[in-house]
Amino acid sequence: MKPERESSLVEVLDRLLDKGAILNADIIISVAGVPLIGLSLRAMLASMETMLEYGVMEAWDKSSREWYARQETKLPLDDREEILFKAFGYLWRDEGIIGAWVPGVWNITSRRVLLWQRSPAKVAFEIPLQNLYLQEINASLQEKQELELIFPDGSAKIRLSESEEFKEALARATRVMVAVEV
Amino acid sequence: MVEEARYIYSIARTGKREHLGEIGIEKKAVYTLPHKDIAAVVHSCEPKPYDTKNRTQAEEWVFEHSYVIDQATKRFGSILPFSFDVILRGDDSQIEAWLCRNYEHLHEELKGVEGKAEYTIQIYYNYANLQSKVLDGNPELKDLQNQIEKESKGKAYLLSKKLDQRLKGLVSAEEARLANKYLPRIHRQVDKLIIDGKRSWIPEDCRDMKLLASYSCLVREDKVERLGVILDEINSQEGFRVRFTGPWAPFSFVKLGDLA
Repeated sequence: MKPERESSLVEVLDRLLDKGAILNADIIISVAGVPLIGLSLRAMLASMETMLEYGVMEAWDKSSREWYARQETKLPLDDREEILFKAFGYLWRDEGIIGAWVPGVWNITSRRVLLWQRSPAKVAFEIPLQNLYLQEINASLQEKQELELIFPDGSAKIRLSESEEFKEALARATRVMVAVEV
Repeated sequence: MVEEARYIYSIARTGKREHLGEIGIEKKAVYTLPHKDIAAVVHSCEPKPYDTKNRTQAEEWVFEHSYVIDQATKRFGSILPFSFDVILRGDDSQIEAWLCRNYEHLHEELKGVEGKAEYTIQIYYNYANLQSKVLDGNPELKDLQNQIEKESKGKAYLLSKKLDQRLKGLVSAEEARLANKYLPRIHRQVDKLIIDGKRSWIPEDCRDMKLLASYSCLVREDKVERLGVILDEINSQEGFRVRFTGPWAPFSFVKLGDLA
């Protein structure tokens, strides 16, 4: 069969808004240090599809994610608890025989790791930092690496576009915990 | 002094400064801004992003951007396409200095896509068809189905729930098996492959079907035909439909995040 140069509006938007090169260079137009790449425009064009289901959020550049994060309902934090890391991602949830990736914002705070969902606003998953381990799941063809959070009474499979940053942040956060306990 | 900026469409392989015509967003004049043998394809604009509350307007801009990408590809061969609304601060000489700073990286990326283009492959299948195949091939479930017909209404209901659930699991296992069966064959014909996430959008002629797998592939020109042969094989199976689109600029395979 021969490839066709046929593309729906959704596909064109997908390519031009979520794929293609984006820069983190200084030279890029920015407001108060945050690269401003037509954020509201992207949000508008993306919102016609069910954004998360369609996977738009995954490929958003960091600045868009930060912008989006600011629009969120505030995450309930304990006293003196602070957010150390934040990124869009997914949690694997078994639903009987089949399962599904639940989207949300992964937060690493000074006390826990949690998945925050915006609408309805709720903590979909949380686990304290103590005795928490992280394991990489090898999926060579998968662009986005899956990770497994292992805690004393179970484990959870998760996915984020910034898995490297997540790993680093978690390593830092768990060190913070140790320091607090000492 | 008014600050200058350049809207960037792509990086192309050319050492010449050329005007591509008024083909840009809002009919802006698009031109190449070279450094050595590479060039940024740009138009001159104000130092602020394109923004609007009007959807149609926004879509138009995106299509205009897409058009410039296509024209640049026709003219210069494989390019590095940029995302919509990336605007660089500076005048021509500042952008050239930026190209100069990142020459090695950009040159390397361009080499990586030379003679190649991006293609998307979506494999759809008929769920009901696969379901009945799974059912026919499983004597245990067949028995269960026969039993349901003989049972009282209440019991039959419970059993059919059980059947549904078993079947659902087996069908999704079969789905995974099929996807894994085709993937290595496709992978052998392509340079790079990305497994795209499942999406809600389904083309008109596949409305009654389910998406089995979706791939973005970077393919060498001389391998497209062979890839087509493999896809034909999948497409000709009963209950399957393959959607093969391209060539596109290598949107999924350009990583310029760490430029200076």
